[in-house]
Amino acid sequence: MRIEHAPPVDYDRLIKKDRIHSALYTDPAIFDEEMEKIFHHGWVFVGHDSEIPNPGDYVTRQVGYEPVIMSRAKTGKVHVIRNRCAHRGNKICTLDAGNEKVFACPYHGWVFDLDGKLLDTPQPDGYGPDFDKSANGMAPAAQVEVYRGFVFASLNHSGITLDQHLGRAKELLDRCCDLSPEGELDLTAGWLKHRFKANWKMLPENDCDGYHVDTTHSSFMTATDSQAIDLIQGKSDPVVRDWGNGHIEIDFAVAYRQRGNPFEWFGRMSPAKLPNYIAAMEARYGKEKAHHLFCSGPPHAIIFPNLFIGELNVVFYYPISANECVQLYTPMLLKGAPEVNKRAIHQTEGAVGPGSFLIPEDVIIAERNQAGLAARPEWLDLSRGLHREYQEDGLTVSHMSDETVNRAFYKRYKEMMQRNLQAAA
Amino acid sequence: MVSDEVLRELSDFIHHEARLCDESRYAEWEALWTDDGHYWVPRAADHDPEKQVSHINDNRRRIHTRVHQLLTGTRHSQVPPSPMRRVISGIVVEDIEGDDYLVGANFMLLELAVQSTHDLHLWGGRTTYRLRREGNRLLMALKKVVLVNADEPVPNLSFLI
Repeated sequence: MRIEHAPPVDYDRLIKKDRIHSALYTDPAIFDEEMEKIFHHGWVFVGHDSEIPNPGDYVTRQVGYEPVIMSRAKTGKVHVIRNRCAHRGNKICTLDAGNEKVFACPYHGWVFDLDGKLLDTPQPDGYGPDFDKSANGMAPAAQVEVYRGFVFASLNHSGITLDQHLGRAKELLDRCCDLSPEGELDLTAGWLKHRFKANWKMLPENDCDGYHVDTTHSSFMTATDSQAIDLIQGKSDPVVRDWGNGHIEIDFAVAYRQRGNPFEWFGRMSPAKLPNYIAAMEARYGKEKAHHLFCSGPPHAIIFPNLFIGELNVVFYYPISANECVQLYTPMLLKGAPEVNKRAIHQTEGAVGPGSFLIPEDVIIAERNQAGLAARPEWLDLSRGLHREYQEDGLTVSHMSDETVNRAFYKRYKEMMQRNLQAAA
Repeated sequence: MVSDEVLRELSDFIHHEARLCDESRYAEWEALWTDDGHYWVPRAADHDPEKQVSHINDNRRRIHTRVHQLLTGTRHSQVPPSPMRRVISGIVVEDIEGDDYLVGANFMLLELAVQSTHDLHLWGGRTTYRLRREGNRLLMALKKVVLVNADEPVPNLSFLI
């Protein structure tokens, strides 16, 4: 974060119920504040524990401005630590992933344990009796918790537990894991990485925007036999849902279940191609519950602020600057379901990633959107569906093309940005 | 491994294919493929495409879908198509299997992202082609493109690489 003494931004002026100000996407000072308040002092998705199955396994990630390492210690515990030598700040790991017994700095040879603790300083007589090894580790995240394999961290204390942060949206992650006959996911097929020049918030907005699909993705609809066509063109009734705390969803499953056909969400896969999967699921859940899961499929949802589950794709993003972002994608593989997984990889290749049939359009639209924000008037309308939202089971729900989800995202965003971190500390 | 005449024939094919890509001549490009064509852009040269996700991993049917989508005129990420020119160098025949020639070459490509940022993107890597003699012509059964930065964040790859 840059050292600045600018007057505080008044987010009440920038975020209204029915519109938001374009400065939220373009102002570098606001971006700095987002990194500090949302990404450095709040729960974010970091990775999945299946990426680091063995002790010593690690992956490198970016959380806000900070490079971090997600590692598995000899105890089996997952840690998230800063990728930075405590001595002079050297970045310790430069690869995406690897396995190490310890983390050794190539500069002066300081050695750290897999959980970041300082183990050894060469020529230790150079440090006096007051040198506190325990204060010179690769600084760990203040909070790290794992929910059904999804690793979340808050670099500095967020003030709430992961359970409080996820709230009812845990159900969305459960819906993914429950599709595995073993109740667990494998995110082991690697990440596609996509760079583009738009503000990071365009992604969650777009991912749960049911209004754009018909136009932005018309070429996909024309070229393929997508299950989405009927839903988007209003022949059935998907809805958008605000799960609280900025977690949002387009619930296609409502419509899938109305129609009662299994695997519509999986490119209308014929059940005949998945006999072992179906048998294993029925053995675990019974016929009726298994059928319900086969019809519903995984969610299409954002876990605030940086995780997107889109059918069998897991997606997260790194903001780079107010005008640039990197998005990463991997197929959601289901433990114990090889028949599903081999197809899931190819579906991911078709749906998401820089060379896919869908996301390149979203990216181009986001980049044009970023460019268009320079023009005035400076407000972005978010009013769609305000007149027809309703409450269902304690959650706000509306037509799938409504901006209920964007409003929910910005409600949480505003709460996060209006926190006084110094007072909290 | 092959005569000068055959090498010339193979390199002429590769340069022609490159030009069709550069000029976004989608239908002509699709006609270069065999029925079992495989258009593959992995994240690393040694990846197993059944275990690791690729940028592009099109079987013949998906190659058709890709071309069909580009030809709709509403594939916004390629409307208008990126102006491109590529240089191909070091063409070598790496193996011969029956009627197939496995040919390798390096490339550098300039691509102008005219659809949004107007940034000039520099792409580079190594392409492996499986070129098959069918009757009196050559067709392409494999185009595997391993980018130098394949496992780094890359911009849109919706043009023909």
